Amino acid sequence: MNGNESRLVWLLTVPALTVIAGVATFPILWTFWESLHRHDLRMPWIGMPFVGLDNYLEVFADRRAWSALLHTVFFVATTVAIELVLGLALALGLHRVSRGRGLLRTAALLPWAVPTVVGALIWRFIFESPLGPVWFADASAAWLPIVVADVWKATPFVALLLLAGLQQIDPALDEAASLDGAGALRRLREITLPLLAPALAAAIVFRSLDAFRVFDVIYVLTGGGPGTATEPISLYAFSVLFRELRIGYGSALSMLVFAVSFVLALVWIKLLGAARAGDVGS
Amino acid sequence: MTRRGVGLSAVGRPAAAAALALLTTVAGCARDPSAPVLTFSGSAVGLEADVLGRQFARFEANHPPLTVRLRVTPDAADERRQLYVHWLTARAADPDVLQLDVIWTPEFAAAGWILALDPFQPDITGYFPAAIAANRWQEHLYALPWFVDVGMLYWRTDLMPAAPTDFEALTRVAIGARSRGVRDGFVWQGARYEGLVTVFLEHLGGFGGAIIDEAGAVTVDSAAAVAALTFMRDAVWATGIAPATVLTWQEEQVRFAFQNGQAALMRNWPYAHRLLQDERASRVAGRFGVAPMPAAAGGSPTAALGGSHLAINAHSDRPEAAYALIEYLTAPEQMLERARVAGYLPARPSLYDTAELSEALGLDARRARAIVDRAVPRPVTPLYSQLSEILQVHLHRALTRQQEPRGALADAAEAMRGAIARAGLDARSAEGSEAP
Amino acid sequence: MIVTPAGRRLAVAGTMLLVTAGLVPLYFALVSSLGPEARLFEAPSLRPDRIVFDHYRALFEHRDFWTPIRNSLIVAGATTGLALALGAPCAYAIARLPFRGKAWILSGVLAVSMFPQVSIVSPLFLVLRTVGLVNTFPGLVLPYLTFAMPLSIWLLVGVFRQLPAAVEEAARLDGASRLRAFWSVALPLARPGLATTAILTFLYSWNEFLFALSFTLGPERHTVPVAIALFRGQYQVAWGEVLAGALVATLPIVLLVLLAERRIVSGLTAGAIKG
Repeated sequence: MNGNESRLVWLLTVPALTVIAGVATFPILWTFWESLHRHDLRMPWIGMPFVGLDNYLEVFADRRAWSALLHTVFFVATTVAIELVLGLALALGLHRVSRGRGLLRTAALLPWAVPTVVGALIWRFIFESPLGPVWFADASAAWLPIVVADVWKATPFVALLLLAGLQQIDPALDEAASLDGAGALRRLREITLPLLAPALAAAIVFRSLDAFRVFDVIYVLTGGGPGTATEPISLYAFSVLFRELRIGYGSALSMLVFAVSFVLALVWIKLLGAARAGDVGS
Repeated sequence: MTRRGVGLSAVGRPAAAAALALLTTVAGCARDPSAPVLTFSGSAVGLEADVLGRQFARFEANHPPLTVRLRVTPDAADERRQLYVHWLTARAADPDVLQLDVIWTPEFAAAGWILALDPFQPDITGYFPAAIAANRWQEHLYALPWFVDVGMLYWRTDLMPAAPTDFEALTRVAIGARSRGVRDGFVWQGARYEGLVTVFLEHLGGFGGAIIDEAGAVTVDSAAAVAALTFMRDAVWATGIAPATVLTWQEEQVRFAFQNGQAALMRNWPYAHRLLQDERASRVAGRFGVAPMPAAAGGSPTAALGGSHLAINAHSDRPEAAYALIEYLTAPEQMLERARVAGYLPARPSLYDTAELSEALGLDARRARAIVDRAVPRPVTPLYSQLSEILQVHLHRALTRQQEPRGALADAAEAMRGAIARAGLDARSAEGSEAP
Repeated sequence: MIVTPAGRRLAVAGTMLLVTAGLVPLYFALVSSLGPEARLFEAPSLRPDRIVFDHYRALFEHRDFWTPIRNSLIVAGATTGLALALGAPCAYAIARLPFRGKAWILSGVLAVSMFPQVSIVSPLFLVLRTVGLVNTFPGLVLPYLTFAMPLSIWLLVGVFRQLPAAVEEAARLDGASRLRAFWSVALPLARPGLATTAILTFLYSWNEFLFALSFTLGPERHTVPVAIALFRGQYQVAWGEVLAGALVATLPIVLLVLLAERRIVSGLTAGAIKG
């Protein structure tokens, strides 16, 4: 790469990276630093002694933290799977509709447009209705409203991502295959889905990372209850930080959530090859 | 829709300038910029906003050149507390005056976020002793009581001759009402939040137990406590006098069930009284009464003491002015006005002997005072938020049948003792000692 | 796509079903917001028995709902504009230019957006307070960029990679520089993807709650989710107004998306994709 090109790379990438680094560096470093200390806001007379990795060790021994992690993994697996399937169906459908396209797409996108807390409030309102069972009083049943609310909201996001990917696929390929006698399902499997891989990858990465950090939806619907049966890891961290005011321990929890998310992202990236440095156009 | 090739300089600077201009305009246009401003953060929804506005105006007239500004916070207790924690850890100088929930004072005091009021020598004899005790930490007073809340039993006068005074009578009456077509027997706040602790506290006292005894030991796993929690659980799943939905209900849903005539008995705070009397919205106006919560043999009718108090931000620039505002707002006239307009119970016992208060509240003030006098505070300790969370989780687990009451309370007690031991504190504030 | 008439009917029916299912809760919200308050606590019904506009009137007369809408529009708009303006060049460089460390940049950028919001709220507040940006528009836009920028970079990397390299190659053979190829060739081709990214980024910012609650102090800077959350009283949730506010708050989005939809269509018909 010659000098001009490397300068170009700098010119193009540095502004964005500077903004991100500028805003995010201090808070992330601060959290890491806090996680190495014992810091309890309710007892300032204890001070802020350095305790090394004690907080992290405490997390590993904390039963409630493990339960929260389990709940989170369950939530991610369930919602991402359902959203992918429904999102793909919706995207394929929207792709074929020619009349009233704009209106239909807008209608499809509406659930995503409603602020999360508000959408969750609407679902709570519906599930608390006197008709039907008392969902929120049962530890297992309480998951249904949560999954429904999240799928309702996020499917349009997945659909829109996949739709954008669908629109970039050359229709000539599909035409040719159809003329060769391939059925719709086969065309879907062998032509559409492979070409859609980058969009699918983006959808999976973003949705699973988002789902891993779920907070608003569960906070509004169940608050983590009944008991702590639906508490995800970020809600637990929130509880430790803001209710118990144990900043050191809460920061360690946050760092662990972050570390897991990061590892997850790397795994997805490797698996789906989304970051392959494709060197197009040289 | 897409803006291309426009760098930060072209978009960001005008945007920042516009924002700054807007902010200074908004901030500056309301009043003389050089006048000292007191910021008050508290409850200001609907009618409360009206009465506060008037009281601030009178205060300003009496204390020129001070002006008082209201800082809006979420009214849900948890969220307001979050914001306070947020601001106070960042050592923000405003708001100067904070409205605190009764259970926050020791925590905020221990963290050094609010000022001790002793240097101002407030006259504490005029307030309910229990409310004053709840605001003490290590022998200093940190907030003045503003209004009190107590848990009460609301009962339908057309469905029963008198309010039940013990739990068995309550069950009988509730079952009777249900058999005659009333949808719910007894409704209370059973969601997993602070309200559940207050309801449990009242049942607990009714069976003769306590969360923490006089010696400072955790007694939430006592036989009385197991009996109380078992009664609550059976009310939902065995006798069926309470609908399973109470386990997701907070104050408002409970109120509406009673207000729509769907419940025979309700446990709620005094705020509901005025709303239930409103004939336009309430189907039970004129057909209900209030009474203390019932008790079993060995226990006594217990009301959880709630309410709000006013404190001074430790980093405030003008503590004397802040104290003047607190003193003004907690004066008898202001309390009476607040009772008349918004229906809140004043924190001064002397007001309950006046006919004015009964008129203002629409209920017999002496009976209300009898309940307040016997109200039981929750543990006064900086650890309360954590202890409450432990209790909430375990109570809710037992109530949703994930665990038996005995086991749940044993786990809760163990966790609470562990938390207290780790903090090196005696659970009671009066004897609160420094950490070793 | 070539489809049999029966297949097309099935597709359309299936799509309509999905879209309608998505609209049902909003319909409930609409019906409930048009009914009197006490009705809210009984079973929700499909047909309103009484229509009152109390909640909508309260929204604009008592609550001054215009201000949060304006604030949300400004913050989300600025965030989207900046995220695209800065993110598109960065994404293009990653997609087209060969250099080392791309995986690190992408992972790093993603990592930042993944950091739990609850734990960076406090230190971010400290930073904003130090530079005096609490309760200002930039004080919200900057934190929002920590998740908006990674989102837009990631999406646009995918978009740029999908573009047929041949067109840019042709331009460069004609003597255009890389930069010119980016500006005059790649960007126009990527318009559908840019529009999609813009919509998603805008909605992300529109929905955000925790930062907005923590970094604004008063109604003059509150955004829509915060304003609606503040409708909740200590005991009383003003359900009618919450639902009404939710529906009113989606209107700007609807308009925005309708506008952007046309861009997507026009991008297609511009003949960019045809070989």
